[in-house]
Amino acid sequence: MIQHIDVHAVLQESVPGGGVYGDLVTRPTGRVVREQIERAIATAAVARVDFTGVGCIDYSCADEIVAKLLRERPAVLVLSGISDAHREAIEPVLAGHGLAALIEGPGGALETLGAPEAAAVLLEELVARRLAARTPGGTFALTLA
Amino acid sequence: MTRLVDVPAQFDDRSFDQFAGAFAEAAKDGGRLLFDAHAAEWASPYGLVGLLVAGQAGRGGGGGGVGGGGGGGSTGTEKPLLTAPTQAEVLTYWARAGFFREAADLFEVHGRVPKLKAQDESDVLLPVTPVRAAEDVHAVVSKIQQRASAILASELGLDPKATMGFAMALSEACQNIVEHAGTGGWVAVQRYHWRQKLGRRVVVIAVADAGVGFRHSLEPTQSKRFGARWGDAAALEAALIQGVSRFRDPGRGQGLAGIRRYLARWDGKIAIRSGTARIAIVPKWDDDVPLKDGLPPFPGAQVLIIIPEPESTRR
Repeated sequence: MIQHIDVHAVLQESVPGGGVYGDLVTRPTGRVVREQIERAIATAAVARVDFTGVGCIDYSCADEIVAKLLRERPAVLVLSGISDAHREAIEPVLAGHGLAALIEGPGGALETLGAPEAAAVLLEELVARRLAARTPGGTFALTLA
Repeated sequence: MTRLVDVPAQFDDRSFDQFAGAFAEAAKDGGRLLFDAHAAEWASPYGLVGLLVAGQAGRGGGGGGVGGGGGGGSTGTEKPLLTAPTQAEVLTYWARAGFFREAADLFEVHGRVPKLKAQDESDVLLPVTPVRAAEDVHAVVSKIQQRASAILASELGLDPKATMGFAMALSEACQNIVEHAGTGGWVAVQRYHWRQKLGRRVVVIAVADAGVGFRHSLEPTQSKRFGARWGDAAALEAALIQGVSRFRDPGRGQGLAGIRRYLARWDGKIAIRSGTARIAIVPKWDDDVPLKDGLPPFPGAQVLIIIPEPESTRR
């Protein structure tokens, strides 16, 4: 089973003023949100971290949340609800760390973001663990619901 | 004894060193300071937030004092004096830009200050806004997205991706205050039409604080590496060019690096002044120098970011 994390809801619950602001900005905000996510996915094998509804993500939050979660790898992470603006912040941060993340598109297709070598390893690992499989369309998708 | 500090008639990043020199000279004796802006004709956001920093440091309330190393300015709690501009339109602009709202806490203001509220209208995309904590950065980013995104895209002709990155860059610039300054600061955003200099419209972000400055912030981790070269210029070079942070966490230093990437993509400029040095990433359209050292000391750090209208959308 996949653990679903609504990042916007986590932001609103865990940060003072989070109910007013919908942006993932500043290190302290990123730290609090990441810690909440870590607790929520502590026992999950796969976590879908959904950024739908999140406005701006700055580089500090991209590092504090996405890069640190990937580095600590509490579960296989799949990012969803990722806009072009989110990519702008996350991609260079991951590339700088030599990390890669899986992005799930609206139709369920998986793509990778970040360092190409790490992306290839990540996808191979997912397929080997039968957590993802190639679709008839030639893309990859999660095998779990 | 009261010491006079002249505010340049055209007060922007180009005339800032003249102001810093006058401030350093006047502040060294420890008397009460009088900032004389009566003849001011124009001030950029950089000038306005810089003047607030001088007011904060001049009262002895700043973390850095002159030179960013502590001390300097008057040591008492008496507010420095400020003579407001005499030209009505200048006064109105300073009020509209939110300057006097912040200045009231820092200066004993003399002059006929209009009872205008700071307004997000016309060229003022974000009035002078205090930044003291992470919550303030949230508020700034939220406000600039509501206010500026449509303007940046429709009037400045910036790609929607550029306006998204704009909020990120603004957030990171403000966070430098929260994370490194050790005191509060201010941010202001404005748009202009630079007819003579560039023939294009630009958006300008100015961020300033009276905190400890880059050299002090990075000294514990970087001074040995630079050896005899260590100073304000080396600290700025380490932070902006090498992406060094005072934190040992490998993910740190993303902020300025991210701003640089964003500006490289949109042909923008960044300049940071701290202590006695100033560093800039200079685009082709500008004639600034990349690094200046031996400038008059000034407290904290002042960041200037300029994003021009793309040439392809020039009207």
